[in-house]
Amino acid sequence: MNYTLHILKKIRGHLNPELYLKPIFLLKGNEKHDPLVNNLTDGVIYSLDQVKLVIPVMEQIYLKVADLSFTRSLSFEAQMIDKILNMMYSRDKKELEPIPYFNSGIGYSFPEASINFGYMDEWQVLDILDIAEKEGLFASEYLDRIYLCNNCSGGFLSYREVCPHCASTNASSEDLIHHFPCAFIGPISDFKNEIDNQLNCPKCNKMLRHIGVDYDKPSIIYTCGKCNSKFQDISVRAKCMMCTKDAEVQYLIPRDVKMYRMTKKGETSAQTGYISTSKDIEEFIGTVKLETFKTMIKYEIERLKQTDYNSNIAGIYLKNAGELYSMIGASSQRALLRDLVEIVRRNIRSSDLITFQNVNIVLVSLNEIPTKVADNILKEIINIISRLIKQNFKNFDVDIRYSVHQLNTRLSHELQIQQVTKDFVD
Amino acid sequence: MVEFWDDFFSYLASVGYMKLVRIFWFYFLFEFFRYIFLETLALFSWKFKQRVNRKALQEARKLMWDESPLVSIIVPGKNEGKHIFKLAQSLREQTYKNYELIIIDDGSDDATPEICKNLERNGMITLFLRNDVRGGKASAANLGLRFAKGKYIIHLDADCSYDRDAIENIIIPFYFDQRIGAVGGNVMVRNYKESLCTTLQAIEYTDTISVGRIVTSHLGIYRVISGAFGAFRSDVMQRIGGWDIGPGLDGDITVKIRKLGYKIHFEPLAVCLTSVPNTFRKLIKQRLRWDKSLIRFRLRKHRDVFLPNQSFKLGNFVSFAENVTYNLVLNIFWYGYLFDMIFNYSSQLKYIIIMNFFLYTLNNYFKFILFSPFRERKHAPIHYFLIYIPLMVFYFGYLLRLVRSVAYLSEIFFKASYKDPWNPAKTSRHAKEMGL
Ligand SMILES: [Zn+2]
Ligand SMILES: [Zn+2]
Ligand SMILES: [Zn+2]
Repeated sequence: MNYTLHILKKIRGHLNPELYLKPIFLLKGNEKHDPLVNNLTDGVIYSLDQVKLVIPVMEQIYLKVADLSFTRSLSFEAQMIDKILNMMYSRDKKELEPIPYFNSGIGYSFPEASINFGYMDEWQVLDILDIAEKEGLFASEYLDRIYLCNNCSGGFLSYREVCPHCASTNASSEDLIHHFPCAFIGPISDFKNEIDNQLNCPKCNKMLRHIGVDYDKPSIIYTCGKCNSKFQDISVRAKCMMCTKDAEVQYLIPRDVKMYRMTKKGETSAQTGYISTSKDIEEFIGTVKLETFKTMIKYEIERLKQTDYNSNIAGIYLKNAGELYSMIGASSQRALLRDLVEIVRRNIRSSDLITFQNVNIVLVSLNEIPTKVADNILKEIINIISRLIKQNFKNFDVDIRYSVHQLNTRLSHELQIQQVTKDFVD
Repeated sequence: MVEFWDDFFSYLASVGYMKLVRIFWFYFLFEFFRYIFLETLALFSWKFKQRVNRKALQEARKLMWDESPLVSIIVPGKNEGKHIFKLAQSLREQTYKNYELIIIDDGSDDATPEICKNLERNGMITLFLRNDVRGGKASAANLGLRFAKGKYIIHLDADCSYDRDAIENIIIPFYFDQRIGAVGGNVMVRNYKESLCTTLQAIEYTDTISVGRIVTSHLGIYRVISGAFGAFRSDVMQRIGGWDIGPGLDGDITVKIRKLGYKIHFEPLAVCLTSVPNTFRKLIKQRLRWDKSLIRFRLRKHRDVFLPNQSFKLGNFVSFAENVTYNLVLNIFWYGYLFDMIFNYSSQLKYIIIMNFFLYTLNNYFKFILFSPFRERKHAPIHYFLIYIPLMVFYFGYLLRLVRSVAYLSEIFFKASYKDPWNPAKTSRHAKEMGL
């Protein structure tokens, strides 16, 4: 690895935004730089006199950086996504394009993403970008497909033809010859002799004269030099040059290589800070998945049409959660969210559901109680949460809000859930 | 109508025994003598010999199992992929396990290669060989033979199925008699209920194969090992260089083995079920091909069997002579008989035709019922066939005879078999030039 790339990796691969977002310019001699270096620097100057030329570029970058808010993410994946979004946003880059790159462990490099990984781990970039796409932060366009080792996910594979019985590469092929007049058919060695270059049929002793007239070569046959078996259908295996595992090609892991384009949601997430993926918050005990919650609300509306109960949904919004999360580590964040869920759980009935809309918004269903009562319950919950945060985080003044809506049988569940969240947008 | 039958019976009463024989000389001279008298004798003699050899047969079975030789099953074919999976699976049901399965694909243009490669990878096929360019059935079988490792070679058709002990039973005769060079299996009709055409063929097969071949094998004149199920000694196959260009290669290879001095044996216990042509059109096409091979192989390629030179063998001569007599010569005689009747008995022709019908039908019932104890699967549903037996007169006596005549004439005068698309043109041309 060249020195420039090494330095670049140190900076761009760092986890601290103060460092990794720094504008970097190349002071270029004659040497040709590698594509990753070109992609991760902000410009080139040819002498130090030209520094003033890049000042506007730097100003532009810092202007964009000022839009960003830096939070601590709940998981490694979220942290990586946050980083990629920040890098792209600050450089006003909308597209993350894979470049074919021989120094990449998977053959393709996504510069802003791949720089965070070592050669052996680079395949993780594909997983992370997949998650980001699923979360709606990126839209993708198919470009290519690669195959990875099924043992170590490495992409440096050597494909060879091998014996299907013992997987040895030591196989040689021979033409088969069909002698028309007598219908004999066998490998060409059957027809050879030690005296001259003529080919003679072992069955009828005639000399072969003219291909297509008295004989032809209908196919070939392989002989394995190791196990001595014969076969026509030679196997293809891929040997991983990273972990040395030799696998049949059908067991390799196919992965799509896509070009990613940042969505509106991606830009917003860069600005607000990307804290967690849906997977990160789905697994909290006492909560259900957002999709499940939506379905249950839908059924509840159906049920209400036939009874005269009153049911409600409520939302709790931690407006400055990002600020709070950036103060604490991932494990404390998790602890906080766990406590939060527990407080809500203790104050509602066991048949009611809790879900995370995102890391800032918790949705709660409150069935078969008057809206007024529901409102009181929420008020109580908010009080407890505020107190808890104040106690634990050095008098941090949390901005926490809530809203309660009576379920309306004439409106769709989707719309009513949207209304709850809408209340929180200023 | 009633009047006609009155006349018929009074005519019958007026005809004496001698006159009856005179009128139906063809039947009494050839068919009754050969197919009832001789066959009955032969069947009893065969049963008796089996009794005598009971111990030796058991010994042969034991010898075979003690050695358990590797058997190479070779299955050549084109576009047979759909049958191969079923075949490979059903072979796993065999009592005999020490076999290798070699499938030879002769230039299929369907999914056969993919299916077979897959089966080869899963270990259901030992070796899959493919000719990208079609070379004909003989070359495909020879390719399988070239890479077969077994002590015995079994040739199968992909669309047939086999009794659980069929492989075992077809190998045992080799251990009974060292002079046996090849064994033919007992081919029965699987789709006998499919159409009238298949039912009639099933009756024909039970007669000419299940019984007829016991007789010819016993008399040492058994000729054709069906491609659907035959076993061969590997060393013998090496010596004769495998199959020559067909059609009719099944009959041809048996002759070549006979010429080396080996016996050909029919094994009724090695049962194979095959699907026969389900329409008369397809049947006629198949039989034209089979019948042409009589001329091509008996009278052209292997005519030396009739010559009294140093390689002359009486058994082979008799086998050929019987074959040529009962097919070609009698086919010509039959027309003579027809003329005899038309010219000499023209006024009684309508009675004679009806008499003829009754005579042959009686003959067929007699054989079908009385020979059934000698057949493998004695308890097969013979009642199903009984009502169809009268139709055999038309099927066997007229239809197949006519087909045979056409085949012989076209082969004798036009060498038609060399134009048969069954073989690729490139190989047929050579066979013709060389007089094969
Ligand atoms: Zn690997
Ligand atoms: Zn040859
Ligand atoms: Zn091998």
